[in-house]
Amino acid sequence: MLDIQNVTKSYRAYQALRGVTLHAHSGEVFGLLGPNGAGKTTLLRILATLLEPTSGTAVVGGHDIHHDPEGVRRAVGVVNGGMGLPARLTGREVLRSFATLYGMTRAQADARIADLDDRLELGRTLDVRAGEYSTGMKQKVVIARAVIHDPPVLILDEAASGLDIFARRTLLDFVHATRAPGRLTVYSTHVMSEVEEVCDRVAILHEGNLLNVGTIPDVLARTGASSLERAFFALVRPDAVRPEASHAR
Amino acid sequence: MPAERAPRRGGLRPGMVWQIAARDLLTTLRDRRTLSATILMPLILIPLFTLGLPLLMGNLIGGQQQARQQLGVVGTLPEGLRRALTTDETLPDGTVTRAGVDLVPVTDPLKAVRDGTVEAAIQPGGPLPARAGDGTGTLKLYAKLSNLRARSGAFGKVQDVVDGYNRQLATARLSTLGLGADTLEPVRIQPVDASSAQEQRSGQLAFLIPMLMMQFILAGALATALDATAGEKERGTLESLLVAPVRRAEVVTGKLLATATTALTSAAFSVIGFLLSGLIMRAYQSANPGNVATFTQAMGGQLTLSAVGVLTLLGVAATTALLISSLLILVGIYARSFKEAQTYVAPINLLVVLPAVTLQFADFLNTSAALYATPLIGGMLAILDTVKGSSEPAHAALAIAGNLAGTALFSLLALRSFGREEVIFRN
Repeated sequence: MLDIQNVTKSYRAYQALRGVTLHAHSGEVFGLLGPNGAGKTTLLRILATLLEPTSGTAVVGGHDIHHDPEGVRRAVGVVNGGMGLPARLTGREVLRSFATLYGMTRAQADARIADLDDRLELGRTLDVRAGEYSTGMKQKVVIARAVIHDPPVLILDEAASGLDIFARRTLLDFVHATRAPGRLTVYSTHVMSEVEEVCDRVAILHEGNLLNVGTIPDVLARTGASSLERAFFALVRPDAVRPEASHAR
Repeated sequence: MPAERAPRRGGLRPGMVWQIAARDLLTTLRDRRTLSATILMPLILIPLFTLGLPLLMGNLIGGQQQARQQLGVVGTLPEGLRRALTTDETLPDGTVTRAGVDLVPVTDPLKAVRDGTVEAAIQPGGPLPARAGDGTGTLKLYAKLSNLRARSGAFGKVQDVVDGYNRQLATARLSTLGLGADTLEPVRIQPVDASSAQEQRSGQLAFLIPMLMMQFILAGALATALDATAGEKERGTLESLLVAPVRRAEVVTGKLLATATTALTSAAFSVIGFLLSGLIMRAYQSANPGNVATFTQAMGGQLTLSAVGVLTLLGVAATTALLISSLLILVGIYARSFKEAQTYVAPINLLVVLPAVTLQFADFLNTSAALYATPLIGGMLAILDTVKGSSEPAHAALAIAGNLAGTALFSLLALRSFGREEVIFRN
């Protein structure tokens, strides 16, 4: 479902991505883990066709980002922590507006909104103007907007950032629920516990380099770490990590 | 996933364009401040500027003629001059057209004027002639010459009265010599106004109309353009729009359509404002049929438009709205926030206001075809010509073409900006 081939991205002298190659499969939640500035958002924006890679290519949901960017955009739903909503429109109006952009009829849109209302517990949020939303309410509608067309590939980039415990739980439950054959969720975060809870496999990105890809047990085994956080540090700053034994003592 | 559309690659899909525009228009419609600027302001400000201000000024200046001012006098004046100064000028029905002044004896005329005891003061430099053949004399006239009120009041009245007094004495003197008053003016100039009837009527309104229309087009476009570009970036809604299967050209065109619609709505309400002014003016004239000429003069003229004139105005206004909208979108998308965008558009305001103000001196301009083809400026000139009734179809067509060419250029630049990562993700 996701095939990334040797993608690089440079901003003048700065190299944000250095030849990233990875594959993610149907039916999995794929974690993208890395500190701020690792290149996660750049990679995800390339996958969403918002940015052009300097070199390399990717196929997302069966569509090549260079040759069929519109096909890619129809196949993905994207949520990032910085996305907002038009303050003077209600959640329902936003969702209907986006449904139309994806070619849905009013009846299809309303049926899908009702479905998302159940799954994301939108409730009265739908008919309140977005300017009055709390952070959690806003993020739920942003997620609903991203999946209004029921995309096979869902890209979540720091989507839980700033959410309270209840909204975060709703989001993680939603990610769990989207795991199904024919679907892929790419979950990017720097919060290890979220990755441990929802991701089947994880890729660790640091300074534009892909350091490791595998299931969480694989990553732990390869690094000899007891937790994902320690494995992460062992990969990104091996010289700064004390041995597990000394830590235990 | 719903069934996919299969559009031609790269073309504009009207449905998508309309969806983008509708979303921006709905956002604008729910903003009270924008609605006020777009609808209420033209309806209130245009009648105020075109009716209220000239009437107020006319009343203030005209009121000076009807009021009796205090005129300081040092020494004595010939009886004829004293009488002429203090007597009211009236119409046969008794209406005072120019009131006389109250003479107040003063010893220091300069001080009396400066401290406001009197509005003006006169001081004969010696005995003044009381009859024809009495010789000549000097009359010092003190007033604050930088003060418009003083100049249009006592100062003006003294000048008029002394002119009349001089003419009266000179005519009497000529009469004793067996000569007529015509001797003083062997050649008379008789001006004949070659302006068309509409040019004669339009007066100062001609200059006001393009200026106000441009201002309201700008005001109408501003909020929508900045909210749809910099505002979207700031809120984080632009990225979600760009990740939908909508083409950048459709995004730019949709935003242009929404912005031009609000700009044109504002322009339409400015036209309604002018019509409202005209209705009020007509109602006043119907109620006061004797004062039509005076009222028209106080108003700075009156406007009559033919059907072709109305169409020309609409064409120029529509293309100007597109031009200004595309420029605002181009500037707005470059800004990181609404506030930053407001800073960027300040010079655009000047770009509209300064040429519009310069239209007062349009008679001195060499209005070449190139000037008419200049975006924005050509439109202003075309509106001015239309209002004056001297519009030429070729000039109007050039102005419209110039605006459309400018719109195309700015739209292409805006489209390029929407495709540039460093602009879209600039923060």
